[in-house]
Amino acid sequence: MTRSDPIFRLDGITRSYGPLVALDHIDFTAENNSYIALLGPSGSGKTSLLRVIAGFEKPDSGRIWFQGRDITDLPAHERGIGFVFQNFALFPHLTIFENIAFGLRNGPVKVTEAEITERVRANIEMVGLSGLEDRSPDQISGGQKQRVALARSLVMQPKLVLLDEPLGALDANLRERMQTELRAIRERLNVTFLHVTGSETEALAMGDKVAVLDQGRIIQYGTPDEIYDSPNSSDVALFLNRYNLFDGKLQNGTFRGSFGAVSVPAVRANERDVYAVRYDRTQIFDTETAALPGPALPARFLASEYLGSSIIFLFETADHKTVEVDHHLSFGEPREMTVGQDYILSWDPEQAIVFGKEMAR
Amino acid sequence: MESKIMKPVLAVYVGLFILFLYGPFIVLGIISFQQGPEGGPQFPIIEWSTYWYRHLFGMVPPSRIAPLPVGDALIRSLTLAFMTMVTATVLGVMAAQAFRKHFRGASVVFYLIVLGMMVPGVLTGLGISLLSNNVIGIDRNWWSTAFVAHVVYTFPFAFLVMLAILNRFDASVEEASWSLGVSPITTFRKVTFPLIFPGVLSAMLFAFTLSFDEFPRTLFASGRDQTLPLAIYGTFSVEIHPNIFAFGVLTTLFSFALLAVYGILMALSVRRAKRMAMQEDIA
Repeated sequence: MTRSDPIFRLDGITRSYGPLVALDHIDFTAENNSYIALLGPSGSGKTSLLRVIAGFEKPDSGRIWFQGRDITDLPAHERGIGFVFQNFALFPHLTIFENIAFGLRNGPVKVTEAEITERVRANIEMVGLSGLEDRSPDQISGGQKQRVALARSLVMQPKLVLLDEPLGALDANLRERMQTELRAIRERLNVTFLHVTGSETEALAMGDKVAVLDQGRIIQYGTPDEIYDSPNSSDVALFLNRYNLFDGKLQNGTFRGSFGAVSVPAVRANERDVYAVRYDRTQIFDTETAALPGPALPARFLASEYLGSSIIFLFETADHKTVEVDHHLSFGEPREMTVGQDYILSWDPEQAIVFGKEMAR
Repeated sequence: MESKIMKPVLAVYVGLFILFLYGPFIVLGIISFQQGPEGGPQFPIIEWSTYWYRHLFGMVPPSRIAPLPVGDALIRSLTLAFMTMVTATVLGVMAAQAFRKHFRGASVVFYLIVLGMMVPGVLTGLGISLLSNNVIGIDRNWWSTAFVAHVVYTFPFAFLVMLAILNRFDASVEEASWSLGVSPITTFRKVTFPLIFPGVLSAMLFAFTLSFDEFPRTLFASGRDQTLPLAIYGTFSVEIHPNIFAFGVLTTLFSFALLAVYGILMALSVRRAKRMAMQEDIA
């Protein structure tokens, strides 16, 4: 299979729990041999989607195709799809070695003892757990458990591995290291990872492609760049946590908001009128400044947050809306500001994204 | 301040309570060492001896007191308790497993099962007796009708124990096993069962002990050959000798041995369960 062939395809997958619709007619095609991040807020149905693909739950309607085969009615153990749980779900009564050997030993295909030993050792080495073979799961750390869970799946050589918030239980330091390792391991093995996460930074950092899930629907699918630079709806922009979103009224190509009226060149279809400016495209000016790049939004300086490579400044507008400005330190030292004082926020209107009910021109 | 008074009072109360609990057994134990064959089931102890223990096993010269007719009854009761234990535990595990998924009429089925331990034993026994004699027309036996009565009685206990265990069971380890290509049956054998084993042990213990000294149901449902509780009751109604107490001590020791085995097996699997709990804590 080449990279562009789909590894799996979802065809109108719907799943509800009583009155709650968890998955709403999802159509989705996933490229082979890629890292796909599935981003969604809690309650968006992302775990349900994973469980339906894995076969732990049945969809109410719709078909699931995997490697060109309809697997909708196959039970989980006949699908050949790996699954890594958020809580790792290691077998507590077995050693690390036996945890990883479990599928080989108890699966439908008879594997010789020699081959089991060899494959388990190879996988233990790959995830960097050599020397821990005889420990039990309660004698290793969270990060190590994560690796065992991964090795246990990968030893079966699946073509698709589903990861349910695999980094959620790890501390920040470890999370970043595992991000790099997960990507490296995947690239080595010619396998597709579908990684569910609620963290937009994780999704953008890890995925070759990112799918944004909201209220049971995939609302955008694209490369991290596409998603980041060009969210196709105000909801996506909201989940990215990188945009200041302003409500207002769009009429005849002019957006009226708390910053006055701005003429907008292009509008993206949306359910509401929303004006979006990225945190790092928003600039700070003194109240007397005459030459602004665009609209003027008066705001009071609240606080700043130091993030290492950049500083986040928090402002509050007259209508009590918090606005964030991201100043990257590679652009020089930030200006001195006094908490509680008023400033003017402005931006280049060309860099704003406008969503509207009415499509302008 | 309050605890300074309350503590000793409560301690004395607990002491009395335990004395009351074990008083009968202590008296029974003392009298079992009465001298024989003249000594009876009363104080004072004429002379300490192991006569009645030897009497039980026919190791004393024949006297006017017949040996306790419990040999066959004991075998029967042990066999019946074992059969009941296996059946009730298997049914209990299966039923509790079924209740993990919600199904229509689940609560009705739940109460129907639990009713088995709520209905007065005499009624169940009588009912089974009437049903087998007058309606179906089969003979009553300890291994047939009484066995059914015992299973109906002990199955709810095994079921409730397993229900409690499976309630706390983290199903993701089973799903992990399936996702590795392991069939649900093998998954149950290799993952679920080892992890719920402490519960299975408790269910077995419940079923065995409840069946072993079951009286009212067996009385009506067992027919001609008696189980141990019935046989002992039978000897009571004639004349009481300390050999019954000696026998009581031995069966109690047997129960303790059973408990000890249970305790050891439990300690082993609790260590395993702890590992599981720790894993969940981190998650």
